[in-house]
Amino acid sequence: MNGCVEGPLNGLTIVELSSGAGAAYAGRLLSTLGALTVLMEPPEGSALRRRPPFLPRPAGEGEDVSALFAYLSAGKSSVVCDPQSPAGRASFHRLLETADAFICDVPLSQRAAMGVDEASVRARNPALTYVSVLPFGASGPNAGWRGEEITLIHASGEGFLLPNGLSAEMFPDRPPIKIHGHFAEMQGGVVAALGALAALLSRSAAQGEAVDVSIQDAALAVGAFAIQRLGDGSLEHRVTRSFKYGGVLECADGYVQLLTLEERQWTGLVELMGRPDWATAPDLQDPLERGRRGAEINARIRAWSKGETTADVVARAQKLGVPMAKYSSPADVLAGAHEQARGLFQRVDIPGATPAPVLVAPFHLDGASLRLRGGPPALGEHQAILHITNRRETAGLAVGAR
Amino acid sequence: MKPLAGLRIADFTVHAAGPFCTHMLSQLGAECIKIESSLRPDIFRKPHPVYGRMGPASFDQVASNKLSVRINLKDPRGVDLAKRLVSISEMAAESFRPGVMARLGLGYDVLSQVKPSLVMLSVSSSGQTGPDSHFAGYAPLFGAWGALGFLTGYADGPPVEMRHVMDHSVGMNAAVAALAAFYRMRATGRGCHVDVSAREVASSLAGEALLLAAAGGAPARMGNRDLQMAPHGVYATSQADRWLTIAVREDAEWTALLGVMGRRELGDDPRFRDAASRLKHAADLDVEVESWTGTQIAEPAVARLQAAGVPASVSATTADLTRDVHLRDRGAVVDVEDTDGKTRAALSVPIRFSQSEAGLERGTPRLGEDENYVFGELLGLSRAKRAELAEAQVIH
Repeated sequence: MNGCVEGPLNGLTIVELSSGAGAAYAGRLLSTLGALTVLMEPPEGSALRRRPPFLPRPAGEGEDVSALFAYLSAGKSSVVCDPQSPAGRASFHRLLETADAFICDVPLSQRAAMGVDEASVRARNPALTYVSVLPFGASGPNAGWRGEEITLIHASGEGFLLPNGLSAEMFPDRPPIKIHGHFAEMQGGVVAALGALAALLSRSAAQGEAVDVSIQDAALAVGAFAIQRLGDGSLEHRVTRSFKYGGVLECADGYVQLLTLEERQWTGLVELMGRPDWATAPDLQDPLERGRRGAEINARIRAWSKGETTADVVARAQKLGVPMAKYSSPADVLAGAHEQARGLFQRVDIPGATPAPVLVAPFHLDGASLRLRGGPPALGEHQAILHITNRRETAGLAVGAR
Repeated sequence: MKPLAGLRIADFTVHAAGPFCTHMLSQLGAECIKIESSLRPDIFRKPHPVYGRMGPASFDQVASNKLSVRINLKDPRGVDLAKRLVSISEMAAESFRPGVMARLGLGYDVLSQVKPSLVMLSVSSSGQTGPDSHFAGYAPLFGAWGALGFLTGYADGPPVEMRHVMDHSVGMNAAVAALAAFYRMRATGRGCHVDVSAREVASSLAGEALLLAAAGGAPARMGNRDLQMAPHGVYATSQADRWLTIAVREDAEWTALLGVMGRRELGDDPRFRDAASRLKHAADLDVEVESWTGTQIAEPAVARLQAAGVPASVSATTADLTRDVHLRDRGAVVDVEDTDGKTRAALSVPIRFSQSEAGLERGTPRLGEDENYVFGELLGLSRAKRAELAEAQVIH
């Protein structure tokens, strides 16, 4: 068994059956917050173990180790359990008897045959919280649709709006793009963790909740502002939603982001640029006039930034209260003094690879970073969990029960 | 009944990230009391020329479903009033720059004395601690700091600004962390200060790339390309600026795609015979796929692709989303009544429960709309006392 951590969800047990980044991230968040997350894997291992990117290794040595699986599974426990075999099904039910919530991203059409549909699970475990994470959710006319990250970020609307700013200016005729990695799927994961917690807070011993999360809904939810703008009469488009000035600026050694929304920030920017004559001209003291002449101003700002270096200009900008940040590479973030000071990364063992730092969580509780139980599990590393048979009592944690 | 009924939040958050968090919790049943003043109203109550809004917003998604009260926190009596509100709340939330709440006399050390079991949520650009904790920032800066912006973009182009989705991702993460702390408080009575760092949320969305870099790899911008799937991209259709996105992972999906395209012979092409070959020849494959999508109307093409089992979607515009039958059926997109009496599309909380209810019950509150209930009923302030505080510009 993995070591103990002091997270607020200590004592909760989550069983996760996942093949996508969404459900896996839900289990990961809950695990990092202290729950015991048990990953149920088929005999060949989770599909996420075979998803790129893979960690570098000497040619011809060992098997590919997925950085994606390692990140999403750090701190979880792994059991091999195939609910379609008779022995596996018995283990599955025993496992659920010890669980508070079951997270599942098996497509709807396959759930009943695998015995992991809500009705089958509910028949033996009426109080269990059943969390479904699917590309388009478990209900509605498109519930059976397939989805991958790129199709989902475009189904949720943000894809159409990307890229914006400098990139859209440089390549106006190219197709829109996706955000790096698994942005939409991970929104589904965060929402599933939120739904699971809300359901667990209101649970009764009689009947557990089924929580239905759609990755499309989740990614759309964080794109709420575009819907609001439409209601105000503006249809957003990647080419026109650029800031009037500022945005992505090229420097001598990389890129920075500049955004001045308030008057004092513009004043700071003028100071930062050394009070050039064009910027101190009386007509540019009017913010509306600056908005109208944004393209001209931006040409000046871009010409100036090319002579600056990123670290230096960002440090000076922040001293002047000018919102500016370097476009940090992953290596920059890993080496960042701020990230180090906050303990954002924890070095963990990775089966099949050398130990490496893994991002823990984007929040602190009680004034400190959380701690991962460990690295990603080896396949079936925690098989002994299947022999634990104590049925849990459902705690009276309902919010209203004071 | 909503799952978080009985949870009350004293909400000091402003702008987007923090308010989105408490907006989510409010739709899950929390009673969320938004604290502003006419001296410092939230951004949506003011003109926003950057977005071409020359007056206050009539509807603000992240402020909706909340109660509104005015408290002037610059006045010591206002601070006392805020403390009384916190003392009858389970949670307090704020999103000022680190140090502002303490300067107001409302830091966690003070509020946890007022209410030892309090869960206090602080959302900031870089977190409450660390050398950059004082940094000013907005959503595009979070993405820049956190490497997500660096990693997003065309392979031969610059990094890309993350916009409002970045703010709201921060809010959604904050809701999870705050509820986890609340869960523990329910079980143990123990309070908690939850410190959410927006730049770390951006990094968390690129955690696999950070691990790859730590192990000696070099993750980079790659546009719409995937490391494993081909075809995988956003393709032109016969309609102007109307795009179709397709991703093929499995052989069965590949075969199905060729069937829909009417190009089964491509399955015999040695360049495309297996997934590895397709990935190697992804650029050639994109030309073949686009020679078909370029003749198609996006929506019916997606319907045929999905019916055949191929992951595909229209690159949806915001207008598409508000009239989408599936999203409407799920209640993800709903109509709300605006203050001018017209209906407009808004978003519900993206979670469906089998038993509990969730979602919007009211729109954006007018400043101070709920003071009778909050100051009168909840805090028991007499009309005379409230009039006195209003006269002194404490309730203001």
